Amino acid sequence: MKTKMVLVLLAAGALYAVQPVGAHHPFAAVYDTDKPLTLTGVVVKVDWVNPHGWIYMDTKESDGTVKHWTIEMSGPSQLSRHGLKKADFTDGMVATVKGYQGREDPALANGRTLVLKDGRSFYIGSVGGPNDGADR
Amino acid sequence: MKHFLHFHAAAAVALVGTVLLAGCAAPAPAPASEKPSASEPPYRPVASVREIMNSVIDPSVDVVWNAVKTVIERGRPTEHAPTTDEEWAEVRRNALVVAEAPNLLMMHTRPIAPPGAGSNAPGVELPPEEIRALIDKNPEAWDLFAQQLQDAMKPALAAIDKKDAQALLDAGDEIDTACESCHTTFWFPKATAATH
Repeated sequence: MKTKMVLVLLAAGALYAVQPVGAHHPFAAVYDTDKPLTLTGVVVKVDWVNPHGWIYMDTKESDGTVKHWTIEMSGPSQLSRHGLKKADFTDGMVATVKGYQGREDPALANGRTLVLKDGRSFYIGSVGGPNDGADR
Repeated sequence: MKHFLHFHAAAAVALVGTVLLAGCAAPAPAPASEKPSASEPPYRPVASVREIMNSVIDPSVDVVWNAVKTVIERGRPTEHAPTTDEEWAEVRRNALVVAEAPNLLMMHTRPIAPPGAGSNAPGVELPPEEIRALIDKNPEAWDLFAQQLQDAMKPALAAIDKKDAQALLDAGDEIDTACESCHTTFWFPKATAATH
């Protein structure tokens, strides 16, 4: 019984790791436009999936610790329309994301702009986000 | 259901008119559009809109959206897509649920949330009674958004029938746009207007 319980908890943990928030959720319900942020770090993983893509980024905090961010993007079609390609995500790449922090989860963000190390900048904001001019 | 309600309203108006005009003239017949349809089914909504969203649309649209994706870890992409007939059939079954569910949403007497339930995100999402008021003020827009979701499912179903993973991935964007258009209009009309 104990083993079963551990397996159930592990499965639940794995599900959480795959699904940072409900797959479909309105921007306003999850992110706070009063918490703009700029993150620079290493992109360790990307989910290129509908309705929102996800960047998993590690940033170095001022105290030397590493913070693991989960950053929402728009869906694959929108990203492609704005010129971003799957091949742009290379091993160990460093990037900067501007966006908004989650209302409840301090390690969750909604990305609006992605800037790669070579200077190329892409609009990655999801549908339903604020009219903040990031898409212009 | 709307026609059914119209029938009652028309009947009440006709009754009052009959009393007022008795002995003067016969009341004019109700316009054709207000006549009850003999074939109007006696719809009986059980779930609220919120429950339809959470229990019917969301779980099914997630299957459609997640059917095709790429996971890139440390620069290495892994592609995911249905490969067997059974897997495609499962995606199609869920796509049909999403395509038909808007018909449930267009039943205008369906409550927005279960009795006593409030906003899911107070201060951000409108409370159910304000959502209801917005919809009642513009029921045509509500129906159009519901039909927009149905229209958005057509390319997805076509892609599934062709077993075309890329087309299904592309169709996902249109579905999301349909969802968000309605959400920002009726659930979060103020929140997304913020500018910084």
